[in-house]
Amino acid sequence: MNRIWAIIENTFKESLRQKILLLLVIFSILLIVVSIFLEPFALGEAPRILRDFGLAVSALFGVLVVIIIGSTLIHKDIEKRTIYTVITKPVRRSEIIIGKFLGLLLLIIILVCAMAVIQQLVIFFYESSFDFSLLIAIPFLILEIMILLGILLLFSSFSSPALSAIMGILFFIIGHASPDLKLFADQVKIPAMKYLAYGFYYILPNLENFNLRIDLVHKLPLYPDQILFSVCYGLIYTIFLVYLAIIIFQRREFK
Amino acid sequence: MDVAIELKNICRSFKNHFWQNKKQVLKDVSLKIYKGEIFGFLGPNGAGKTTTIKIITGLIRPDSGSIKIFGHPANALEVKKRIGFLPESPYFYEHLTGYEFLKISALLSNQKDYKSGILGLLEKVGLKHAVRLQLRKYSRGMLQRIGIAQALVAEPELLILDEPLTGLDPIGRKEIKDIILEQKAKGNTVFFSSHILPDAEAVCDRIGIIIDGQIIKVGELNKLLKKGLKTDEISLEDWFVKQIKRNE
Repeated sequence: MNRIWAIIENTFKESLRQKILLLLVIFSILLIVVSIFLEPFALGEAPRILRDFGLAVSALFGVLVVIIIGSTLIHKDIEKRTIYTVITKPVRRSEIIIGKFLGLLLLIIILVCAMAVIQQLVIFFYESSFDFSLLIAIPFLILEIMILLGILLLFSSFSSPALSAIMGILFFIIGHASPDLKLFADQVKIPAMKYLAYGFYYILPNLENFNLRIDLVHKLPLYPDQILFSVCYGLIYTIFLVYLAIIIFQRREFK
Repeated sequence: MDVAIELKNICRSFKNHFWQNKKQVLKDVSLKIYKGEIFGFLGPNGAGKTTTIKIITGLIRPDSGSIKIFGHPANALEVKKRIGFLPESPYFYEHLTGYEFLKISALLSNQKDYKSGILGLLEKVGLKHAVRLQLRKYSRGMLQRIGIAQALVAEPELLILDEPLTGLDPIGRKEIKDIILEQKAKGNTVFFSSHILPDAEAVCDRIGIIIDGQIIKVGELNKLLKKGLKTDEISLEDWFVKQIKRNE
């Protein structure tokens, strides 16, 4: 456990000290705060915009951090050869992957929670009351980020940061278009296309499972079985991706 | 004598790009390093020293042949617990201070009571003044010293050093040589590669010479040097140049 904790701590500190992170944090906080000034243009929709905009910015922030930092997570260690002194210690390669995953995840969780606090403060400033129901979105956003981080870690364990980042973005787009993919599969007449579309639908992650923005902003009811399914889906998919990353990393050589 | 490292018929080839032919970097390398000795692994640039060391430390695998360390496969955790390794031109996490880096190294090596050990190590390698300095502010020589310190953090029985004397001033070289000799005095084994032949000459019990991926000579330093010139001993440097020219 000490060994994994050492890697978590190092990954956390290393990611925290990246200048791009500071820029993203400042930019995101500014965006959330600026939503107050949208009121004159909101045509009575200001409360909805405050909520929707704040959640969207938090989600965008988390996704950008995971793609920018996650894509270089393993590769940078190999490129800079810092991995040599880690991998030759009595540490399992699986511990390195798990430590890296948890280190960056921990940082993103803290930052996303900080964004949620800022959003609550903005709502309080505008409405003189908090809206804690929005906080339900945070664990689901974190589940989505876990899947994306798993994808980036997987690609980062054998390919370049650029390819990892591109794959991260692609999976993010396709993951959110998953319901459309299902609709296409249901309606298309050509059997080959139908099976292909169903194949992609079932294999690629369905990130819409974690998008509760519309439900929360419009105060729609949330169903326990739907929540339970999303949580299990997110956890199982992430474990599968991290496991694949470990298998690939275990075979990797450091020339 | 007990064997610390045993390489048997190791071959390894690489290709830089997929359209290029493979280049054989190690050709049937066999070598035995005995427990308690200081072994100098010498050879010109590109001879295969670092590739051999990477195979010993499990960073890469051989195409064929076998490698045993203390009788176990090179990648085994039990082996790694007994090894300290300094890579060539080491790079470390720049944002960490010297102390933080050694703390992580100690934790990865399963050391629980690391605090006093780390401070002692920093003093030993002459970096006590840089305990709280980030590694990105370290000079080349300081990085080499902290690299030695992280290799020693778990008090290993086998120290593998890839060009440990590079980038150090004469005082630094003397200090590292003293550390190497101290390890031998403790009964530990040291395997190191070097270009700095007079320094290798000063500390080694035995040397091995690799040229173009092949081991051409292995033996006790004194015996090899006497063989080199029948009438009198010559310096390792002269002898080394002679061996290289003979193999060209």
